[in-house]
Amino acid sequence: MTLAAGIGYVLLALGTSLALFVTIISTKPFLILTLLSSTLVWLISLIVLSGVWRVFLPFKTTAWWPYSILILTSIAFQEGLRLVLWRGYKKLEGILDAFADRVAKPRLYLTDKMQIALAGGLGHGVAHAVFFCLSLLSPSFGPATFYVDKCSYAPFFLISVISLAFVTIHTFSMVIAFNGYAKGNKSDQLIVPVIHLIAGTLSLVNLASGGCVVGIPLLYVVALLTLAYCGKMVWRTLTEAQIRLAYQDQ
Amino acid sequence: MDGSILESIGVEIIGVMSPVSICMLLVVLLVYSLSSFSSSSVEPIRTAANLVYLEAPSDSTSQKIEGSLLNALVFVILIAAVTFLLVLLYYYNFTNFLKNYMRFSAFFVLGVMGGSIFISIIRQFSIPIDAITCLILLFNFTVVGVLSIFAEGIPIPIVLRQVYMVLLGIIVAAWFTNLPEWTTWTLLVALALYDLVAVLAPGGPLKILVELASSRDDELPALVYEARPTVSRNPRGSSLGLLVGGVSSDSVELQVEMTPNRNNATDSRNGDTIEMVDSRDETEETSPLVPNLRDRMRSSSSASSEFSAAMGGTDRIRQTEIVEDEEDMSPLAAILGMANEREPQLRSREIGEEATRGIKLGLGDFVFYSVLVGRAAMYDLMTVYACYLAIISGLGCTLILLSVCRHALPALPISIALGIMFYFLTRVLMEPFVVGISTNLMMF
Repeated sequence: MTLAAGIGYVLLALGTSLALFVTIISTKPFLILTLLSSTLVWLISLIVLSGVWRVFLPFKTTAWWPYSILILTSIAFQEGLRLVLWRGYKKLEGILDAFADRVAKPRLYLTDKMQIALAGGLGHGVAHAVFFCLSLLSPSFGPATFYVDKCSYAPFFLISVISLAFVTIHTFSMVIAFNGYAKGNKSDQLIVPVIHLIAGTLSLVNLASGGCVVGIPLLYVVALLTLAYCGKMVWRTLTEAQIRLAYQDQ
Repeated sequence: MDGSILESIGVEIIGVMSPVSICMLLVVLLVYSLSSFSSSSVEPIRTAANLVYLEAPSDSTSQKIEGSLLNALVFVILIAAVTFLLVLLYYYNFTNFLKNYMRFSAFFVLGVMGGSIFISIIRQFSIPIDAITCLILLFNFTVVGVLSIFAEGIPIPIVLRQVYMVLLGIIVAAWFTNLPEWTTWTLLVALALYDLVAVLAPGGPLKILVELASSRDDELPALVYEARPTVSRNPRGSSLGLLVGGVSSDSVELQVEMTPNRNNATDSRNGDTIEMVDSRDETEETSPLVPNLRDRMRSSSSASSEFSAAMGGTDRIRQTEIVEDEEDMSPLAAILGMANEREPQLRSREIGEEATRGIKLGLGDFVFYSVLVGRAAMYDLMTVYACYLAIISGLGCTLILLSVCRHALPALPISIALGIMFYFLTRVLMEPFVVGISTNLMMF
């Protein structure tokens, strides 16, 4: 539906990520590198998953259970990958702290660590938006629009709306996860895969005819929950750190 | 309170990756906007890359493979011959001829090839502009470009120079994307292999060129993109910088990427480029002024020689001329540490406050990365993104290798290998998977 509509859809999915990028990430080169590497890791995970599932695709049936197995395995794989990312990040933190000691600068602040986690999560989110959404939006730059049978209430290009929810979930669950691993807080660590699973299964609802009317708002509820949880957790961590600092100064 | 280290690590790497990304992005945009135009041209142009075999869609697969392999072989042989010619000319000190030839090539590329791209854009978007204005603008653009790339003695802002380098890369890459598909892929593979051999093997032309240039302490007769980030020092550092800068302004002719401190260490100057204290690839912050000045100088100058690290890209950009084999542009290798710019007089004034360390990347690398991404753009946006990520990570790996190896490295092989691998993996494996899922409105 012309250039304006196409750009509109793209910005719908990626607008908030762009804002986050410009304000927080582009000022620190290291965060840009973190974003690029986490996007690469997500891409590799997608390639591995598609390599495994390629034999079985395309599904001949329209039943929902093959899709659910697909989604479950994919989510399990990606959560496992998050643990691997955490290990890598710990090593990186060690290197960075050693470097900071060598040049007599302060070690990584708490906010620095959270920013690295945010950049990592944003990398995942941007990768998701590009591969699941942007590549399908190329027809939207043309003169017509397209509807899917199962969800005839809105043009197909509103997958960018679903993508926005997922971008939010990916971005902030990485912050929650890294904070949880750092503190050893079980509830934080567990809630991230749970959120991811719930979001994935909610998108399964879209398979049913007319399901997207129910599925998409519920997805947004999950996304907002993630945001709220992350915000609360960050607030708590920062105030604790402040109290601890004030205590030390006494 | 001191700033955190997070603010400054990785500046040099980003300084190289951003122009590469911008070049690739603009080439993709050009390819998308001009794709409808170029498909209307029926007759494939015979260029230097097409000398042997003109690919047509109706040929069989084996014919295409053979033909494109032959094309790639011929192209690489031509490039190797021209590089040897260049080495010979450089060896016998025909530097004036080389310089003028490079100016002419830049003029030609910007004027003629850039001009034809501008005309296609005007035609595609129906921009109302008359021929005389267009000619004048093009002429101005070309002359400013040649001046900014090759001027010696004229103070030109580094940003303008970088912009014109990127524009050169874009124009040549856009021309290369007109090649047919099989030829493009085999050409990329062949050039990556050639780059590997030419820079690393003992008899390779680029290696000889780099050694010649460094033994004469001269700059390479090449088109090289220099990323020169200005490191903003903490206030204490910069006051020392001013102090030293005043002292140093005389001893500058062969100074390279200079830090202000280097000029104090003029006695160990040559030693500094060779002696390597650390092998990190993060940026070096200057420690506070008070402790151990000697240590600081050594570490920062070793860092500066690390970061004036560079890579040998492929050398020649083959201009796709219609009939004859037009002689090429300059080689696009670059060199570690020992590279000198012939603008020391200008820069001695500005080094007072700035550390001009930077990584250099040959222009051929820009071109062939963009060709790969442009060709991926002709298929789908997903492949574009995958290839972009692959190339950037290959570039990152090469930069890390550079900080370990400390001599000129070819920048093409790793990135092109990763790029091609990711392109075919995405096209074959990932696309049916992802498209199948997301058209059902399912995601994870």
